[in-house]
Amino acid sequence: MSKTDDDGTGRVGDEGRARQADDGNVPIAEGVDHQVAMVMDLNKCIGCQTCTIACKTNWTESGGREYMYWNNVETKPGAGYPRDWEELGGGWDEEGQERTPGELPDEEAYGRPWEFNHEAIMYEGSDEPLRPLENADWGPNWDEDEGAGEYPNSYYFYLPRICNHCTHPSCVEACPRSAIYKREEDGIVLVDQDRCRGYRYCVEGCPYKKVFYNAQTKTSEKCIFCYPRIEGEGPEGEVRPPSCAEDCPPQLRHVGFLDDEDGPIHALVNEYEVALRLHPEYRTEPNVYYIPPYAPPQTGEDGETVDADRIPLNYLEELFGPRVEEALNTITRERERAERGEESELMEILSTVNNDDQYRLEVFDDAA
Amino acid sequence: MTDTTDATDEQTRDDVAAARRDFLKGVGAAAAVGATGLGSAQDLTEMNALEVVDDPIGDYPYRDWEDLYREEWDWDDTARSTHSVNCTGSCSWQVYTRNGQVWREEQAGDYPRFDESLPDPNPRGCQKGACFTDYVNADHRVTHPLRRTGERGEGKWERISWDEALTEIADEVVDAVEDEEYDAISGFTPIPAMSPVSFASGSRLINLLGGVSHSFYDWYSDLPPGQPITWGTQTENAESADWYNADYIIAWGSNINVTRIPDAKYFLEAGYDGAKRVGIFTDYSQTAIHCDEWIGPEPGTDTALALGMARTIVDEGLYDEDHLKEQTDMPLLVREDTGKFLRASEVAGLSVDADRPEKVFVMQDADGGLRAAPGSLGERDGQHDASASIALDFDPDLAAERTVDTDDGSVETRSVWLNLRDELSAYTPERVHELTGVGEFTHRKIAREFADADRAKIIHGKGVNDWYHNDLGNRAIQLLVTLTGNLGRQGTGLDHYVGQEKIWTYEGWQTLSFPTGSVRGVPTTLWTYYHAGIMENTDPETADRIRESVEKGWMPLYPSERDDGSRPDPRVMFVWRGNYFNQAKGNVAVEEELWPKLDLVVDVNFRMDSTALNSDIVLPTASHYEKHDLSETDMHTYVHPFTPAVEPLGEAKTDWEIFRALAEKIQEVAEERDAGPVDDRKFDRQIDLQSVHDDYVRDWETGEADALAEDRAAAEFILENSEETNPSDTTERIEFDDIDEQPRRLLATGDHWTSDIEDGEAYTPWKDYVQDKEPWPTFTGRQQYYIDHDWFLELGEELPTHKESPVLQEKSEYPLSYNTPHSRWSIHSTWRDDTKMLRLQRGEPTVYLNPDDAEERGIEDGDTVRVYNDLDSVEVQAKIYPSGEPGTARHFFSWERFQYPDRNNFNSLVPMYMKPTQLVRYPEDSGEHLHFFPNYWGPTGVNSDVRVEVEAVEDGAESLAGGVGGGEGSDGDADETANGADGSASGPLDRVTDLLGGGDR
Repeated sequence: MSKTDDDGTGRVGDEGRARQADDGNVPIAEGVDHQVAMVMDLNKCIGCQTCTIACKTNWTESGGREYMYWNNVETKPGAGYPRDWEELGGGWDEEGQERTPGELPDEEAYGRPWEFNHEAIMYEGSDEPLRPLENADWGPNWDEDEGAGEYPNSYYFYLPRICNHCTHPSCVEACPRSAIYKREEDGIVLVDQDRCRGYRYCVEGCPYKKVFYNAQTKTSEKCIFCYPRIEGEGPEGEVRPPSCAEDCPPQLRHVGFLDDEDGPIHALVNEYEVALRLHPEYRTEPNVYYIPPYAPPQTGEDGETVDADRIPLNYLEELFGPRVEEALNTITRERERAERGEESELMEILSTVNNDDQYRLEVFDDAA
Repeated sequence: MTDTTDATDEQTRDDVAAARRDFLKGVGAAAAVGATGLGSAQDLTEMNALEVVDDPIGDYPYRDWEDLYREEWDWDDTARSTHSVNCTGSCSWQVYTRNGQVWREEQAGDYPRFDESLPDPNPRGCQKGACFTDYVNADHRVTHPLRRTGERGEGKWERISWDEALTEIADEVVDAVEDEEYDAISGFTPIPAMSPVSFASGSRLINLLGGVSHSFYDWYSDLPPGQPITWGTQTENAESADWYNADYIIAWGSNINVTRIPDAKYFLEAGYDGAKRVGIFTDYSQTAIHCDEWIGPEPGTDTALALGMARTIVDEGLYDEDHLKEQTDMPLLVREDTGKFLRASEVAGLSVDADRPEKVFVMQDADGGLRAAPGSLGERDGQHDASASIALDFDPDLAAERTVDTDDGSVETRSVWLNLRDELSAYTPERVHELTGVGEFTHRKIAREFADADRAKIIHGKGVNDWYHNDLGNRAIQLLVTLTGNLGRQGTGLDHYVGQEKIWTYEGWQTLSFPTGSVRGVPTTLWTYYHAGIMENTDPETADRIRESVEKGWMPLYPSERDDGSRPDPRVMFVWRGNYFNQAKGNVAVEEELWPKLDLVVDVNFRMDSTALNSDIVLPTASHYEKHDLSETDMHTYVHPFTPAVEPLGEAKTDWEIFRALAEKIQEVAEERDAGPVDDRKFDRQIDLQSVHDDYVRDWETGEADALAEDRAAAEFILENSEETNPSDTTERIEFDDIDEQPRRLLATGDHWTSDIEDGEAYTPWKDYVQDKEPWPTFTGRQQYYIDHDWFLELGEELPTHKESPVLQEKSEYPLSYNTPHSRWSIHSTWRDDTKMLRLQRGEPTVYLNPDDAEERGIEDGDTVRVYNDLDSVEVQAKIYPSGEPGTARHFFSWERFQYPDRNNFNSLVPMYMKPTQLVRYPEDSGEHLHFFPNYWGPTGVNSDVRVEVEAVEDGAESLAGGVGGGEGSDGDADETANGADGSASGPLDRVTDLLGGGDR
């Protein structure tokens, strides 16, 4: 992949822009050799939750994990999962030195894994309707498709979330037993299931609320970036991307290493700067990045399309920080190139026409 | 609570289920052990001796535990399978097994690419397919034959043996045939493409019995009647990969991102390839959010919007004149006095080289001479004739208007084009805005952009097809691609993806399903509504036209009328692979009128859906991971298989094995009773029950006995006997082993397609006509926008036109439009009751309300509400949906009856509608253009022309833990409210009568 902009591809050159690191070195956590990363293209997320189900059937079917969604997809604007997680604190202060206090979500905020009365209705002559056997007044996707605004200028989009496997993880710092760690070879953040005693400081400390307490095992658990898959474990010995990515029907996720400078993640994050962190102000330095969403323009009172942003920019800035407008402009500019029939490397990366770059996992000898 | 199932039965079923449960819980158990270490005593020790970690970032020394998750990522074997649901997905999956049980599934992801310039076709699948394992292992799965002991629907059963079940059914079947009521035996199973062997299993037996095979595509209102009307073809679409070839795409009432999850990628990525994507949806839908422009017309006004756009294209001269002259009926002359096409036989002195000049049409050339229109029906053989041509050797005048000397004297004539221009002139920007709410400038801008694009395409969906006037809406929207010449090339066309109307391997499937070749097919809308009492419950004009259509033989109805003028009731009904009872529009009437007429309802199912629950005998069938079959869809051009990952659970058998065993039992009973052959009253054949099993397993193509005893052999039969997989002009072929290895792209197309499969190109239809200039299979041999059938003329529908929807409920009383779209959480009713899916919804049926409508009624999000009209009342949970247009109650469809406190459902609010223009034969005398053929031409069962009101319920049935106990008096409550609403004290059936009989239509 070219590093200059004189090839006519529209790539913004390195010169004249602040790179995150000098000499081509991408900053990753000290002590970690390489950092796995994911870019999710929100313009391809259709809220189908295939990722959610794929993750669940792999990892959280039973054994106290039933209520957990290591991967969830939430409608934004919305309360999300767990409910109102963005208001529960955690992360780091402005200097990134001190952890800021966080709260534990209560059980209701996650929603309970309802069981149902199928057999009573189908085989035992019950005249009740099929219903959850316990209170059902909140769940992990309760406010699906709701969003905000008023018809016809309402707006919503889907936000898939996993653990960010942060460079500066506040969950790691929060654990008094040092039972959470970042793997040396790939930066995956894991909760040591032998060492953890379920104090839940990590649950409080994670501002994304992506560590979950397992009441059955009395430990906390979280997304493991499907390390057995990326390590090529399993009978076939094949290296496979995390199941949330590989199973995604529109293939909206790129998986690879942030420090793989020939990879699409580096291009999207550091070169085109169209892939942004969710809530960068939490200062945990997530390694999951998002291509922010654009939306059709608004409709005026007389039923005419009017040239006005449907999703308020300040809302997107709340989520993705101050660089979101520039990222959207870059995407618009590149789409216009494609429309004119010109080459656009960015559009090619975001599509699956040439999908060799969707997953780049076997690039370093010393990584998973 | 079980008063009819004895302890042993329950024990067995529980044992089976428990075995799978325990296996599944094994995962968790392992996790528990690993996670808690070695037990509490050692915990303490370890606590005391906790090793210090210097820096958990990178340098963490205690990583042996990581094997915990590695061990969970393990399996013994995989098998390739898919899901037999009518979703058009046809996604190939790998099913993982562990300890002899299904563990999980993952998209196989190995469809071969055929065009490197298109997005990768992999992976295909969605969240529902990703958890089908839950059904395979479900506690509530049907695991042995059941006979009803309570009322239908009550859920009280006794376990019976296979022999008992089959004997009881066989006795009833033999009785019916001996009574010469074989045409009172019905078989309902939809959509062959999703699993043709399973489709054929019962259809083959029904065919041998002389029974009735039901249509489904028209019944579900998936059929767009405008396609047979205008293009003479059932439905023809590009495969979804072709979306990416378009420069401009309008998604019109087709919520791709919800209903076409595996295909959405092509739409989403087309945006990165420079295509503009416009969404036309009444709500700011899940697809609208990813469009470049969203147009939100008022519900039911799409026809006016399309005609307004057509007017812009015509007025501004943006149309493709050559296309219109060669490919359409626009230059044909129409008589002003009769409204009929001018026929060559009527024109004095016009010499025509055709056998039937009365079916040859007339154009005027540029010099003012009258010319016979090439390709007219009168000069070709039957519906489609590849040896004829519509190529022109003269330049027709689109705007012809002249007097013609005929045998009747001189008559005034005008071209269809001028007639169309007159019609379009009514759709001024102001009027279109008034009708649709769409801006005067915006709809014209979209029309211009569409016309200017090199390759423009419309993806057309159920949102615009569920209306009474769906034929008019189709024709208006089709007009846009015709006017602009966007047909017969990559990246163009009107793709209507709703249901899977046809199957690539048509010939093999057809001969397997209907070996006698004499098929008693019936339009299910007519059959259902007739037997549910529509003749007494519709306006007199509609009743008269239904009667006329049946009497003239335009539409068949079974059981057929007997010599004495009587018509028996239907008697036996088999349902498999579908949920007829739940999905029936006119649901109240179906339950009250039709269902009691059936002496025996047999449901073949792996799960207890609403039809199973309302059946007399339920037979346990193999799940999708327990059988051999094929899978196809018109969304792609591949074929791939089902193969068994595990044996059928409990006593379940495959569909093929079940119907084969039933055939065997029928033969046995017939032999015992010495039941002789019966002459079929319609076809030249005898129904011989003493050979029915021998006939079932015989390969009728080769005559080989016992060749088709197994489902896999039946799958091979289909592949061997189809042009798509065994082309006549090459030695290349596709066999079952090939597709078990990897999905294969089809090799050719049979006669039921309009283009070839070409290497390196996505399938796009209509090339036979547009590029090869074969006549379209219509009366005129052209795309036909003018229909001169008497009924069309009488109803003012000879050209596409906007008409008001014939809604039966007064807006003042029922202010909300009732819309029942497809949800992302189910494929029809499958997965509607799935625990994993329900947890990601609200656990129960919901109605989406605009916040203003809710507030006006004092309804808050999460409240239990009653949605009602004069027909019925359903109790559901309110969900506030700011993106829903004010004035609409949106109740995603297909919830099972047992999910409502009153055991009614989303269809209980929908009356029986049947539109006369969909009952015709055309031409009336010979019907080549339009004649009844199952799933091709027949009345559609529509459901959008309905209004309702919504009100909060004081003590709704919430979750069971809330102490509600759904049954608690809710039946009575619902009735009272509904009665209160329409001011009468009538029972449910009376309400049907009220609704349908009012005579104010």
